[in-house]
Amino acid sequence: MSRADEPYREAGVDALDAQLPAAETLPRLAGLVRPLRTRAALGLDAAPAPALLFVPVGFLLGPRALGALSEDALAFLDVVVSVGLAALGIFIGLALDLRHGGGRRLLAAASAEALVTLGVVAGAMLFLIGRWQMPLDVSPVVAALVLGVCAAASSASAARRDSDPVQPLATRIADLDDVLPLVLGAYALGLLRIPDPAGAAWLAAATAAAGLAVGMAGWLLFEEASGPAERGVFVLGAVALLGGSAAYVGQSALFAGMVAGLAWKVSPGRADRIIRGDLRRIQHPLVVLLLLVAGASLAPSRAALWLFAPLVLFRLAGKLLGGWAASRVFPGRATPADLGAYLIPPGVIGIGFALAFNQFDPSPTGAAILTATTLASLAGELLAVVSLAELRRS
Amino acid sequence: MRRPLAFAIVVGVAYAARTLGDGGSPLRGTGLALGFALIAAALAGTFFERVGLPRLSGYLVFGLACGPYLGDIISRSMARQLQLANGLAIALIAFVAGLELNLARLRPRLRAIAGLSFVTLGFLYAGLLVTCWALWPWLPIAPEATGAARVALAALLATVAASFSPTVTIAVIAESRARGPLSELVLAVVVLADLVLIFLFTLVMQAVRWVLGEAPAGDVSLLARLTWEILGSLAFGAALGAVFAVYLRYVGREITVVLLGLCAVLSAAGGWLHFEPLLAALAAGLVVENVAPPRGDALKEAVERGGLPVLVVFFVAAGTSLQIDALGVTGGAVCLLLALARAALLREGTRLGARRAGLDPALGALAWMGLVSQAGVTLGLTVLVAVEFPEWGEPLQALVVVLSALHVLAGPILFRMALSRAGEVGQMDAGERPSAAPA
Repeated sequence: MSRADEPYREAGVDALDAQLPAAETLPRLAGLVRPLRTRAALGLDAAPAPALLFVPVGFLLGPRALGALSEDALAFLDVVVSVGLAALGIFIGLALDLRHGGGRRLLAAASAEALVTLGVVAGAMLFLIGRWQMPLDVSPVVAALVLGVCAAASSASAARRDSDPVQPLATRIADLDDVLPLVLGAYALGLLRIPDPAGAAWLAAATAAAGLAVGMAGWLLFEEASGPAERGVFVLGAVALLGGSAAYVGQSALFAGMVAGLAWKVSPGRADRIIRGDLRRIQHPLVVLLLLVAGASLAPSRAALWLFAPLVLFRLAGKLLGGWAASRVFPGRATPADLGAYLIPPGVIGIGFALAFNQFDPSPTGAAILTATTLASLAGELLAVVSLAELRRS
Repeated sequence: MRRPLAFAIVVGVAYAARTLGDGGSPLRGTGLALGFALIAAALAGTFFERVGLPRLSGYLVFGLACGPYLGDIISRSMARQLQLANGLAIALIAFVAGLELNLARLRPRLRAIAGLSFVTLGFLYAGLLVTCWALWPWLPIAPEATGAARVALAALLATVAASFSPTVTIAVIAESRARGPLSELVLAVVVLADLVLIFLFTLVMQAVRWVLGEAPAGDVSLLARLTWEILGSLAFGAALGAVFAVYLRYVGREITVVLLGLCAVLSAAGGWLHFEPLLAALAAGLVVENVAPPRGDALKEAVERGGLPVLVVFFVAAGTSLQIDALGVTGGAVCLLLALARAALLREGTRLGARRAGLDPALGALAWMGLVSQAGVTLGLTVLVAVEFPEWGEPLQALVVVLSALHVLAGPILFRMALSRAGEVGQMDAGERPSAAPA
């Protein structure tokens, strides 16, 4: 797998660090200084399961604990969340390779897996919401669809690279299983704003058109820039415009970013490599920030608790069934159970989508969905640790 | 052709989003404004550069054209949100300015710089005081004031009108990649003169209170407050700068994040401790440059190269806040007259100052062009006046806003022209400084 095919796992060296003279050694304080010199100490490096660390830290800093991240501060961070989601969406779009048969098969497998998971979770939640007669501020269909979208995303990056031959396939599927859920997620957010199916579809299409337009503008500009400084302005501006325009119309920044990422991937020239290189530098700080905001936004409630347990259960069932569906596309390459186990870690896309939903629906229902999704993601990460350990032992 | 097409696409996306969306919460437009401003203003800046004007004038004009007072693509609420980034931008710009002030390099010319600053400032202030006093009946502030009140109010207006803009000065230098005697001289004069003017402002405000009978003799609360603000800001910034210099020297990791954190703290301290972020950040940069010079120089180079997005957003935000519709209300002709008088006084003042300080006359002849800009400090002082004396302070504020708008539009163009004539544009990249002007 080429370096360019690994969108989620690496964050390059800080640009300024590389340009400054090396730090001096201070023998007496070496023990104290050494931890500060690691990227992970500052939350800037890839961690196996970042949600397990940063969500609790965010909750501690948030308005329901220490209050360092107040409600006002969280409102201001909405902007950064939208821009961060657009950046993550771009990585998803860049990971899409539809030009080769292999890439298309991978997308088919990932979409099958995601669709099964989404169907299992959304169907089960729709049934339970009706059965429990849960009072909601949005349509039960929208709530169930959003929970399904949040549950469908996976991240196989928690697995060690040198583990077994199933892992590379699982990683590629995990990279691509966000595509279909993000399309349906855009439709769900459209329904939130325009409760008419045609209107919602039109709004999602308009978001895709905006993503495509920004993608085209970026393609025209990135290689045309007079130097790295101006290129940095164009890249940052494109990401902010994707996140900002989607947020302004109440749509998914992840979806807009994904469309733009795909446009850069298929367009001629180096636009995809330029944006990937520039965004890598800020990818992990953005992920950390999203998780901190998600943690700080946790609002424990009865509704969240009710949603949490079935979400964990049906997501697990959905992933195992989805693993079976994906393995049918690659017969002989992986057993359904192994593939399903690798796809259990939820990553950050589900939490990101729940954050976006909560931005546009700041009602108790939005908060309950965000809380349930975030807690279910933590549970998913823990389940993944256990199941992958079991897998390695066997 | 690629750039105009990209510009049209970006404008189209922003316009469509504004038409389709309601924005929801007021903060939701920030990302849209930010993205639109970054790309479209950068393209406008490139166009300005192609016709020989500073790029940041392009950002300003773009902000003005798309802002709430003209095109309204960036709405009033979006413009307000853009300005939230200003604190961080000012701290970063001032920090870089501090990095420019290498005391070892400046020491041989410190006396000359101080001489030029005081003569220029004295000449400018005296001239503006006379002009304001003479024009007072036509100024839409408090035309009925006579005697001591008229003198005190004219002195207050002269103080505010005389102030400079370190932010714009630094930004023009950074954007032009300029280095040399003129850049250093103008930067030092602007910083020094603004410090003196802030002190002078406190004294004049006290005089106004006494004359208007609104403060008992001996009340020095504002003086004490501003002394705390200035000295406290310098001390606070120097302390943080020292910590950052140690970090650079012994840790040296994740400098981008740590630097942004430093600027956020310097900026936020303004709110918490009533410090002036510009002064604090300037002091921090000065300490880093003079305590850890090799890293300071490398850091300056790197930040100047990477700080372009900050400059773009800062000047677009400034452009969106230019209330050109206030021209009609406050008398555009009077503003223009005051602006011309200020420019003429600056020109003669710097010539005289350069002669007195023994500086190269060519340098003195160009220096005034770097002193024309006005922005944050000027507007900040008028806010203090408007808050304390709303009856005549608000008309004074409106007049100064228009005056600053004229200066912030013309100033960068003039300064860039001066740097170009002095042969200093692009010298940062050339890695060598032009031969210093003989003293």
